[in-house]
Amino acid sequence: MSQTETAAKKTAAKKTGAVKVKADATVTTAPEATKAAKPAAKKKSGLAFPFTAIVGQEEMKLSLILNIIDPRIGGVLVMGHRGTGKSTTVRALAEVLPLIERVEGDTYNRTLEQYLEAEDGKKGAKALDPASIRTEKIPVPVVDLPLGATEDRVCGTIDIEQALTSGVKAFEPGLLAQANRGFLYIDEVNLLDDHLVDVLLDVAASGKNVVEREGISIRHPARFVLVGSGNPEEGELRPQLLDRFGLHARIITILDIAKRVDIVKRRREFDEDPDAFMKKYNREQLKLQKKIQQAKDLLPEVTMTDAVLTDIARLCMNLGIDGHRGELTITRTAYAHAAFLGETVVTMKHVKEIAGLCLRHRLRKDPLETLDAGEKIDRELAKVLGEAEAV
Amino acid sequence: MMIAFTDIVGMDLAKQALMLLAVDSELGGVVIPSAVGSGKSTIARAFADILPKGTPFVELPLNVTEDRLIGGVDLEATLATGIRVVQHGVLSKANGGVLYVDSISLLDSSAVSHIMDAISRGEVLVEREGLSEVHPAKFMLVGTYDPTDGEVRMGLLDRIGIIVPFTAQNDYRARKKIVNIVLGKRDEEDTKDELNMLAGLIQAAREQLPHVSITSEQVQALIQTAISLGVEGNRVDIFTVRAAIASAALAQRSDVEEEDMKLAIKLVLIPRATRMPDREAAADEMPPQEEPPQDEEPEGEDEEAPADTPDAEAEEEQKETPDMIEELMMDAVEMELPDNILNISLASKKKTTTGSRGEALNNRRGRFVRAQPGEMRTNKVALIPTLISAAPWQETRRRDSKMAGRAKTALLITKDDVKIKRFRDKSGTLFIFMVDASGSMALNRMRQAKGAVASLLQNAYVHRDQVALISFRGKQAQVLLPPSQSVDRAKRELDVLPTGGGTPLASALYLGWETAKQARTKGISQIMFVLITDGRGNIGLQATFNPDAEKLPKEELEKEIEALSLSIQADGVASIVIDTQMNYLSRGEAPKLAQKLGGRYFYLPNAKAEQIVEAALSF
Repeated sequence: MSQTETAAKKTAAKKTGAVKVKADATVTTAPEATKAAKPAAKKKSGLAFPFTAIVGQEEMKLSLILNIIDPRIGGVLVMGHRGTGKSTTVRALAEVLPLIERVEGDTYNRTLEQYLEAEDGKKGAKALDPASIRTEKIPVPVVDLPLGATEDRVCGTIDIEQALTSGVKAFEPGLLAQANRGFLYIDEVNLLDDHLVDVLLDVAASGKNVVEREGISIRHPARFVLVGSGNPEEGELRPQLLDRFGLHARIITILDIAKRVDIVKRRREFDEDPDAFMKKYNREQLKLQKKIQQAKDLLPEVTMTDAVLTDIARLCMNLGIDGHRGELTITRTAYAHAAFLGETVVTMKHVKEIAGLCLRHRLRKDPLETLDAGEKIDRELAKVLGEAEAV
Repeated sequence: MMIAFTDIVGMDLAKQALMLLAVDSELGGVVIPSAVGSGKSTIARAFADILPKGTPFVELPLNVTEDRLIGGVDLEATLATGIRVVQHGVLSKANGGVLYVDSISLLDSSAVSHIMDAISRGEVLVEREGLSEVHPAKFMLVGTYDPTDGEVRMGLLDRIGIIVPFTAQNDYRARKKIVNIVLGKRDEEDTKDELNMLAGLIQAAREQLPHVSITSEQVQALIQTAISLGVEGNRVDIFTVRAAIASAALAQRSDVEEEDMKLAIKLVLIPRATRMPDREAAADEMPPQEEPPQDEEPEGEDEEAPADTPDAEAEEEQKETPDMIEELMMDAVEMELPDNILNISLASKKKTTTGSRGEALNNRRGRFVRAQPGEMRTNKVALIPTLISAAPWQETRRRDSKMAGRAKTALLITKDDVKIKRFRDKSGTLFIFMVDASGSMALNRMRQAKGAVASLLQNAYVHRDQVALISFRGKQAQVLLPPSQSVDRAKRELDVLPTGGGTPLASALYLGWETAKQARTKGISQIMFVLITDGRGNIGLQATFNPDAEKLPKEELEKEIEALSLSIQADGVASIVIDTQMNYLSRGEAPKLAQKLGGRYFYLPNAKAEQIVEAALSF
């Protein structure tokens, strides 16, 4: 099935030919038109603080890394105290991300296969020659969705400038297109307006973005790792959105003085001379990037025994977690975690380290429960582990 | 004529704060709380004088709309020229200069979020109306406000380096007169000279800034102070250090000295304190997970220190540091610190909840903040934005329509064009007081409740809060005051209060729940139960409907309460239980009740009305 189509306007166009229907460049099939499309350019803002120079907050860092290794984990929600480096860490992520391959200049970051599948089957289009399409390597995109974004910029809309100057209806892809196969980051996600949350939930569930506007109907892939951060005191997150996040990392004020002195020192050093600071951490950055790439490569070889799988299922059951998303997330995350450690067999040790991240936000809220979610998970985990050892 | 920075008498701390900011713009900004009518904005506007010439100074109007704040397409120019013309928002206009907000606590929460976002990025991402641009927006934020209008959101304060402590000094109503007198006598030459001198001083300090150094021990002492004051987050450490360095630079020194550190503690840390190190009572207010492992006790520190300071010299410092900090802090605290410092930090806790209970975006009433696509039938249509969004398409649509052979119309508007109005409203909270009017202490409790109701209502206009009062005694509970904002009405209705008899707690909860549900239908989403009771219910819900019902056994009564509590909690109603019974009489029922309701328990024997209000607001 074609992923982008301009069907609705066809009749009108046929009648006179006066209106040239041209959805996005990629919709008009020819590869040369693709080049005209705006590349999903990474916005150039000042240098980001290097990921490897961030002190502490291991839980958040690990969750992000595991999501790079396996994007199917489903993203991460980082909630916690103010001023603890939440957004600094997420924005630092871009520098350690591996490269992906896409069709050159493709706004939707599609692979050659995806591109062919979407464009080749199109009615009236000439057959595409795979050999004529060039590909390029780009870093995994990280797209920032600001709170003030309007719906048309998020989903994409008709290019107003083209419409005014040449009367052509061209689709201008939005942030969701740019984020395809990458990360979509929302700072202060708990303050996001309801109508944008609706859009996100829709797209996250289907992996596709559908836009109908001015008689043009566009449909394009939009699969991304959702990363949100916020301070719980500022507002609650919609339960449906909460459920969308694979992992939930918590972050609190660091109370270790030595670490805090270190934070201040590094920050000052960075502010004084960002370039020199980046250079200093360059090696570590590359090392981490390589380690992540290696983990990605190793991932298909990682295996898990049925015994471990049973334990995971038992853990989720004992905690009374609805549905199967809990098990699925733990399993994927444990695989990624093992791969990150360079190991090929998932053990309960790996599970133990990530169970809290996967389940914290999935526990049913029991009003009489006094235990903290993390403690409860740990307790049940210990029980399962005890049983597992006894068998 | 304009009042110059140097003409302002008093407000020394505020002036000092602004000078530090002028020296190091990385401090992010200055927030000045001050009383109404004191002309507090004068000093902020005069701040422009001491900045280098040509520094932008942009004032943010409180009713700013999202597109004016962030920027967007300038439709008028776009339609006229045919090319997309971008209009920069207020945030990017302030780039490289000052963004000034008067009454910053009244700024609506979406505007606050955008400002926060711009500060943390140093730029504005414009992802609106088909536009995708990045505009630089690095500015110093100067905000003034009157604390009685409500507090500034904590998230925003966290990104602003300096908060001037609210002291009697700031209230310079009296001093305004002095200003006028002084002004009358001065000639402008003097003022000019003084301003020039000040500007020169700041220029020199800016040049000195990179040459000031601070020792690790000093940094450590500042951080230790932050921890013992219970300041949240780690970002504040950087601000404290910067403030100390800027202070040294102003004094043309190359080393940070004690006075610089004291000033930094006073302007950066103390206003964010959640507790005072020397007062146990305040520590109780801290949630357990935030409790630092030690309060100044050296053991806790010894565990952490060796990791980073390996040599013996450092160990010696470890012994010295706590004393040094204590001294520093006490000095800083004593310096004209208001007696009500704890109230202020309590207020700072209150403001975090104010943020969430303050405002809600809706489609019906409040202030119009933005137009967005939506359903025409159920909402108010924003006419101008609808027309604007339809305008660019007229040409092409006319052609289409002609082709389709449809009748000519002047304007072709489709469903896609329709924009609806979104409003922001301070929705407020409904406080439902439920007062145990049975037993001997009833009169006392009732008096406290009345006082609390009156006091809450007096401030009600700020948050649009409402108050209701239910009393319970004898067989059943009774609504004495339905949800209301009127102080007079409350006084009238509460004048005669019967007391004595059994304790129909379940009936009270039921009635409260009903009241809450009714309020919900009227658009009040946030509801809080304030129960003033010892928690010992002895009359079941049955008795409410059937006076001849048999008396239920204790377990049954408990079950009833539990079921009700769960439903109430599930409906999102917050609760606090205030126990005013003397300790030796209590059997622990009140804390249990609080737990069932998922609320908080306060033990306040002989509570004053103000304490009850404080408890209700702090939650």
